[in-house]
Amino acid sequence: MQTNPAQLMLKRLVGFAGVMFVLSAMIFILARIVPGDPARIALGPSATQQQVEEMRLEMGLDAPLWQQYADYVWRGVQGDFGKSLISGRQVSDEIAALLPATLELVIVTVLLIIAVSIPLGVMTARYRNSWIDNAGRFFSIVGVTMPSFLFAILLQLIAANFLSDWPVLGRVNYSLDLPDGPTGLLLVDSVVHGDWQVFRSALQHLIFPSMALAMAGIGQITRITRSAMIEHQRRDHVLTLKSFGVPDRVIVFRYLLKLSSIAPLTIMGLEFASLIGNAFVVELVFSWGGFASYGLESILQKDLNAVMAVVLVSGFFFVVANLVIDIVLMVIDPRLRFKEAN
Amino acid sequence: MSAVSNDHQTILSARYMAWYRFSRNPSAVIGGLMVLSVILVAVFAPLIAPYPEDVGATVDFRNRHMGPDAAHWMGTDKVGRDILTRVIFGFRISLLLVIGVLGVAVPVGTALGMLAGYFSGMTERIITGFTNVMLAIPPLVMALAIGNVLEPNLVNAMLAITLLWWTWHARLIYRVSKSIATEDFVEAARLAGASHWHVLTREILPNCVSVISVKTTLDAAFVILFGATLSFLGLGVKPPTPDLGSMVADGRQFLPEMWWEVLGPGFAIFYATLGFNLLGDGLRDMFDVEV
Repeated sequence: MQTNPAQLMLKRLVGFAGVMFVLSAMIFILARIVPGDPARIALGPSATQQQVEEMRLEMGLDAPLWQQYADYVWRGVQGDFGKSLISGRQVSDEIAALLPATLELVIVTVLLIIAVSIPLGVMTARYRNSWIDNAGRFFSIVGVTMPSFLFAILLQLIAANFLSDWPVLGRVNYSLDLPDGPTGLLLVDSVVHGDWQVFRSALQHLIFPSMALAMAGIGQITRITRSAMIEHQRRDHVLTLKSFGVPDRVIVFRYLLKLSSIAPLTIMGLEFASLIGNAFVVELVFSWGGFASYGLESILQKDLNAVMAVVLVSGFFFVVANLVIDIVLMVIDPRLRFKEAN
Repeated sequence: MSAVSNDHQTILSARYMAWYRFSRNPSAVIGGLMVLSVILVAVFAPLIAPYPEDVGATVDFRNRHMGPDAAHWMGTDKVGRDILTRVIFGFRISLLLVIGVLGVAVPVGTALGMLAGYFSGMTERIITGFTNVMLAIPPLVMALAIGNVLEPNLVNAMLAITLLWWTWHARLIYRVSKSIATEDFVEAARLAGASHWHVLTREILPNCVSVISVKTTLDAAFVILFGATLSFLGLGVKPPTPDLGSMVADGRQFLPEMWWEVLGPGFAIFYATLGFNLLGDGLRDMFDVEV
């Protein structure tokens, strides 16, 4: 029996809904076994027992656990994660305000990973066992094994010692008037408003953090691209092309690259999880002030509502990223579109 | 002309061939030596460290923030403790973390992966389904959340990492054992009346050993990296325990002037992760497995 792409997609969507469901249940249980009453954390140590009781009622903490969970999921689906226990504001508003900063960083990082690692992977495979290959492999091993905080700090030290005016903290020069909307991504907004000063400043600020964040991914993807290229080079159809006198350039770019991009793309989806994790580190080092910084702060302050939201939103982005990659893979690889069901 | 001598023909055993390939692989040998040095330094830390008393909460304010010199090769930190000493003892914490996490995650992941790969049907579906869900959780975010719900300390950091780590092993071993399960010798063993237990432990497990050892070596690097990141973010080991990640975090406040307080412990982490990674790569070439 064969399935069509729509059915396959639907199957994936159901799977991802399942992932989100389990993730939300896990984080909910985790948040409820925490020693410490959320109402007490919200009110502080000086609140009376009476006030705490009222707060518990308001937060719905007196209901049975399953009902609290159902309530949480129902509201979460609508984008309502409750109020921050620390600031008292809606968690969803706080996250929405900070998310564009992180999205911008992550998008630029992903583009950087692709722009560096695919050519590097192709080059190292093409000139296998040459100095290019050795240098490329060394570079990717360093990328995979160097802690991203160390790399981030090294970049800052380089800037401090050799590039005296290069910005190493924040998203943009704060003396500039920032364009108002529509996306919250500074690079996009500044182009929309034709504000090249902001664009330049934002780009300058982005370079080091995105490099630090991209390092691990570049290492991983270069490695996978290289081995996929090498594996496919040995295949019969490639040998046939060669014997027909098709130029190497055409073989590599027209035939091999597409075939060899399946493995790295798949890994890219999984790599996205560590990208989210490393964003916590990079945002901290570069005072980026985005979603990850917010997540770290709320975890350190035991702001449970915010922590739950941060975990769920990160999980959501991971799932969406993988969904996008699945779609891209189906476009590239026709075999996936008509894979046998089951 | 050197004649082919038949009288001294040695039969090259598989083990010898493996060793030959290993020793001809420079990155494997370098990685192996690096790992060995980390282990030796950690084991003999009290004998090697120049100032063993600086491991605890000692203070020596006259010598604080001293740059690297003959007395303190890596300089001193904000309370005047010798950084080299703390780095040497820091390797102990890193290796403890590796042993603690992989000591649980590898057996659990291997067992579940083998069960899923060998038994088809319900067992397979439940285990792979659960593994896939666990893999969809951004590990660092989850570990941070778990680590903070519990008290941040070494044991809880281990616990948090272990909870997420077994899934990678389970997925790999599932793939490997599923392909082994269809081999003729497995079927033959079943036909000869061997129990499931016998097949799992005597037929399938030995064929997973090379994959497991490669994966475990590579993983040691990532556990060190992961643990260092946790403690860099303030959720790992409590002071004054000398932990490499928290040493970097401590020193960061004094950048860019006191660069040695960050680079010493930072490159120590990198040295350990690089060593395990190179060794793992070498073992992968040696066993010729895909991990």
